[in-house]
Amino acid sequence: MAYSSVFKDHLAHPRNAGELPEANAIADEKNPVCGDRLRLSLIIQGDRIETARYLAYGCPPTLVCGSVLTELITGKTTAEANQLTRADLLKAIGGLPSRKHHAAALAIETLHSALS
Amino acid sequence: MPFVPFCGKLTLDAMSARRVYLDNSATTPVDPRVAAAMTRALVENFGNASSVHGFGQQARAAVDRARREVAALIGARQNEIVFTSGGTEANNLAIRGLCETSVAHGRHIITSAIEHPSVAGLCLELEKRGWEVTRLPVYANGIIKLDDLAHALRADTVLITVMLANNEIGTIQPVSHIGSLVRERRAAGQRLWLHTDAVQAAGRLPLNVDELGCDLLTISAHKLYAPKGIGALYVRRGVRLHSQNVGGHQERERRAGTENVPGIVAFGEATRLAREEFSERASHDRKLRDRFEARARTQISDVVMNGDREQRLGHLSNISFRFIEGEGLLINLDLEGVAVSTGSACSSGTLEPSPVIRALGVDDELARGSIRFSFGKDNTEADVDYAVEVLSRAVERLRALSPLTLSHGLNG
Repeated sequence: MAYSSVFKDHLAHPRNAGELPEANAIADEKNPVCGDRLRLSLIIQGDRIETARYLAYGCPPTLVCGSVLTELITGKTTAEANQLTRADLLKAIGGLPSRKHHAAALAIETLHSALS
Repeated sequence: MPFVPFCGKLTLDAMSARRVYLDNSATTPVDPRVAAAMTRALVENFGNASSVHGFGQQARAAVDRARREVAALIGARQNEIVFTSGGTEANNLAIRGLCETSVAHGRHIITSAIEHPSVAGLCLELEKRGWEVTRLPVYANGIIKLDDLAHALRADTVLITVMLANNEIGTIQPVSHIGSLVRERRAAGQRLWLHTDAVQAAGRLPLNVDELGCDLLTISAHKLYAPKGIGALYVRRGVRLHSQNVGGHQERERRAGTENVPGIVAFGEATRLAREEFSERASHDRKLRDRFEARARTQISDVVMNGDREQRLGHLSNISFRFIEGEGLLINLDLEGVAVSTGSACSSGTLEPSPVIRALGVDDELARGSIRFSFGKDNTEADVDYAVEVLSRAVERLRALSPLTLSHGLNG
């Protein structure tokens, strides 16, 4: 399958890239098999995610998953964010080839890790 | 009415403002003169080259003319050329064909660690059937050492297959020295042959089978501005091969099947042009490659040039960009119309860094961040400048995203 226009847009124009020095929730996860890495830093006020930033190393789906994920979770409560699944992320991206689903799995794992 | 070729300039995707093709080692655009020769053969010369009547004889004459051109490119005799469907088939015919006729003399093959997948795959297949394979290491420069080869040679070695120039990093192997060694061993009575995959070298380096001292040599048309689906194996007179395609007398019993006359005619025309325009193309490509490397080095930090700086093809540049991954960079370049390739692939959560770059002894991060830029006769200086501009932006964008740059203070 071809990558969606959402995918291409996020790849060319990443949203919320970077690091938050004042973050109060951080996770840095790595896929031990392929070496892809995602780092998420969040500012949580009360129970709501006010700001999210990400850094990513790896194949394009990993970069895009980081960008789309930060858009999905900004403004959500931690409980709502915790409910997000791999399928929700894949839907927001407009789908990924099955061989690239591991990128969405890494993103969700990093999110859960940051919120735990 | 004069013949008018249907093929004009390439029509490219209108979505992108500009398209620059820097993947000439993967395949080359068909030269309009080659397309014109092929179209004439398709339309006007449809006979079966094995037929006795005039139509067949006309096709046979066209095949013979093309065979002379292909032979001339590599300094061979025309009856030493076997047309195949491409480089992979030619490698199969060379290696399987020779091993099957040589099994009484030994079951040991020597190859290099950075062969094209068609040769590497064949060696794996032969190992499953009881053959022993020695893979010569390449060092940081991507070149084998003749001492390693001399140590690997055994009394039961029947075949050495080492590529002339590598497809990812362009390094040139010392095939003529291997050829001298093989001739010495043969003079001493050993049944030993030398095959070289010259798919990347053809049209890029001057080729002469006698100077190389090889017995078998593979070339492919689509790297020479001709279409896909046609290639050739040079088989030195006196070398016996077991045919892999049986059921016909074509190609001197070595490759059964009705000849692909239009493909062969295109290949002949492409090799004629490659020979006649050799110097002009080589200096053009080298000039663009050097311009590209000089500008890329100036504008982008933390780059590693892969492969020997001198003993390499003049049209190709392989660069690793630290802190970022090749596939991400490739797609970023593609979004802005620049086509390149990477040897690394990430699928199903399994990383496959380029085996060629890994063989240079570099770490996984560098192997994952390698990109091949390969220039061709249709590229211009403006293409190079545009590519460097796009590359510079894409590298900066990806590094701003990369957690690997955190400790280097690049993304604050």
